[in-house]
Amino acid sequence: MAMTRSSTFAKRHGRRDFLKKSAGAVALATFGIAREAFATEPVNIGGLYPVTGSFAQIGQGCVNAAKLAVQMINDAGGIKSLGGAKLNLIVSDVQSDTTVTRTETDRLISGYKLSAIHGCFASALTLIASEVAERAKMPLLTGSSSDQLNKDRHYTFTPFSRASQFALAQLQMSKLVSDTPKVAVIFENTAFGTSTSNGLREQAPGQGVEIVMFEPYSAGLTDAGPLINKVKASGANMLFPVSYLNDLILIIRAIKQNGLEIAINGGSGGFVIPDFYKNVGSVAEGLLGVAHWNHDVNTDAQKVNEVYKQQYGEFLFEYAGGLVAQTFMIADALERAASTDPEKVRDALSTLDVSSGYAAMGPGGKVKFGPDGKNIYAHPVGVQWQHADLAAVFPKDDARAPLIKI
Amino acid sequence: MLTTIAQAVVNGLLIGGIYALVSIGVTLIFGVVKIVNFAQGEFVMIGMYISFFLAANFGIDPLLSLVISMPVLFVIGVLLQHFLLRRVLALGDMPQIFLTFAMSLLLVNVALLLFTANYRTVQTPYSETAIHFGTLFVPMAKLIAFAVAMVLSGLLWVFLHATDLGKAMRAAAQNRDVAMLMGINPDRVFCVAVGVALALAGAAGSLLMPFYPAYPLVGQVFVLMAFVAVVLGTLGNVTGALIASLMMGVAESLGIQFVGADSGLIVVFAMLLLTLALRPNGLFGGWSR
Repeated sequence: MAMTRSSTFAKRHGRRDFLKKSAGAVALATFGIAREAFATEPVNIGGLYPVTGSFAQIGQGCVNAAKLAVQMINDAGGIKSLGGAKLNLIVSDVQSDTTVTRTETDRLISGYKLSAIHGCFASALTLIASEVAERAKMPLLTGSSSDQLNKDRHYTFTPFSRASQFALAQLQMSKLVSDTPKVAVIFENTAFGTSTSNGLREQAPGQGVEIVMFEPYSAGLTDAGPLINKVKASGANMLFPVSYLNDLILIIRAIKQNGLEIAINGGSGGFVIPDFYKNVGSVAEGLLGVAHWNHDVNTDAQKVNEVYKQQYGEFLFEYAGGLVAQTFMIADALERAASTDPEKVRDALSTLDVSSGYAAMGPGGKVKFGPDGKNIYAHPVGVQWQHADLAAVFPKDDARAPLIKI
Repeated sequence: MLTTIAQAVVNGLLIGGIYALVSIGVTLIFGVVKIVNFAQGEFVMIGMYISFFLAANFGIDPLLSLVISMPVLFVIGVLLQHFLLRRVLALGDMPQIFLTFAMSLLLVNVALLLFTANYRTVQTPYSETAIHFGTLFVPMAKLIAFAVAMVLSGLLWVFLHATDLGKAMRAAAQNRDVAMLMGINPDRVFCVAVGVALALAGAAGSLLMPFYPAYPLVGQVFVLMAFVAVVLGTLGNVTGALIASLMMGVAESLGIQFVGADSGLIVVFAMLLLTLALRPNGLFGGWSR
């Protein structure tokens, strides 16, 4: 698949290729500089991920996926329009810390001749990195879902669904479970918890979903029993916890311990990574979530997933899988720009329009950025834990496995 | 409604049992050695990791690993007292606070380095099961933890009141000089006291493991509650710490149920402030005799 796509590019850009090479030859002749390495000088792209600190585990998975994607592109012949130039991934650890993210983004941009950046998984970190990249006029691709990333930015591109779309999908999915969904929303009292839960509350009436409990809790629970007791008393038939992994583990266990029979939609983030299942075990079976990417959405995604699984022993999770696609988007832009100049790469990204190949292997199967940097075709995919794996079950067009009712 | 209240009380009592193990350790060290151990939570963390690795590598049930985590932590406690705490006994509050606080920071960061920030859980057959009493659900893992915590507290009480070493410990706590005149070796008694306190922290860690994930910062979740319990139950009073811990667990649970899920701690701290205003020495003034 990759080969055929690459060869079409080679053909399509044959003329530009020729112009570029002849221009290079002219330059060499003019200045009399013999630079054999010219055509094969690698293209530097930056990757900003937290590989230490509280987001470390997901960050490490992202780095693994980013390396895999670069290897795939290089093995297929690199960037043809740049004389088969190889991609060179420069990874920087942003340490799950906003201050470090700022200095590391700066350091990466000023220290290396980069053509584009991707990062940083956590929205709080990505917002900072995106500010720095904007100032430095450096294109940045990210899978982070914060709607804030689409405001007043010219160099930031978000190929996947936005936070507001996640809330909508989560509400629509509750109809899969019950015709009269009565939802309990419990959320940690942090910026992440409050903004996500407010999105749910605002859109619930429009979707015919009744919210019977809307309860903030102090993040870092010692015991989820009392909270779940309260959910039990509310008479809800569906629970939306907006929580990070530690609290989620306690909540899921407390639901079982308190004999509460309730459908659960845990949203995205920590809910849709292999580690969640590792920690919760078979209790996770049947739980629902929402993701901006899943490894079964199409055959290309499945192919990458197989390779990743062989190397790292677990399935390619949401953020890491999206990152492989992002790397191919950058490659596509480089191919068309026929230049390593970040400004030209940005322009090429803004006119990106793909509907096949690894760059397009997300839900919806197409990528084209609007003026706000949003992929106009992006939407989230509803997933369910089935047999220790995540299966896409919603919406109908993206469903790859039937929903298991529990 | 009645079920909801009863369930809230049960949930509160069960987690209170865990608070008790941590706070009894803190209050024991304070009562005997007169040092506030800010690193007590980190020893709970060490207990959890011991149980986790024994379960993950050898398939040993976390509850069985009590017999390993408690002696290991006891030895750590003896060494800690002998090589570190002993040196600062005569130096006053500040060096003592700095020492235990530094130890807390050190242990957290060493754990981050060795074990990473990942959450580690152990799956046991009883991790998610519950016993039913009518409409009440009593989670198995927490019930076992509570029962063992109560047994250990009882054994500690017997130890302090019925054994020579326990009596010597209380004597040294009351008046170190007089105790020395009576032929008690305070260094030895202090070593045992810190050892026992850390062994209780280790027990808390092992008992938590079937239902709580281990991670480097986990101790800080519990140590805050332990300190409140220690003050509430009167500094140095073992029985007081136990009762205060159970009260706090119930207050927190009822607070979450009827005030708000982010207000559980508010109820606990309101209880603390009220107690301090009315009974400045805590609910159980004086060392338990």
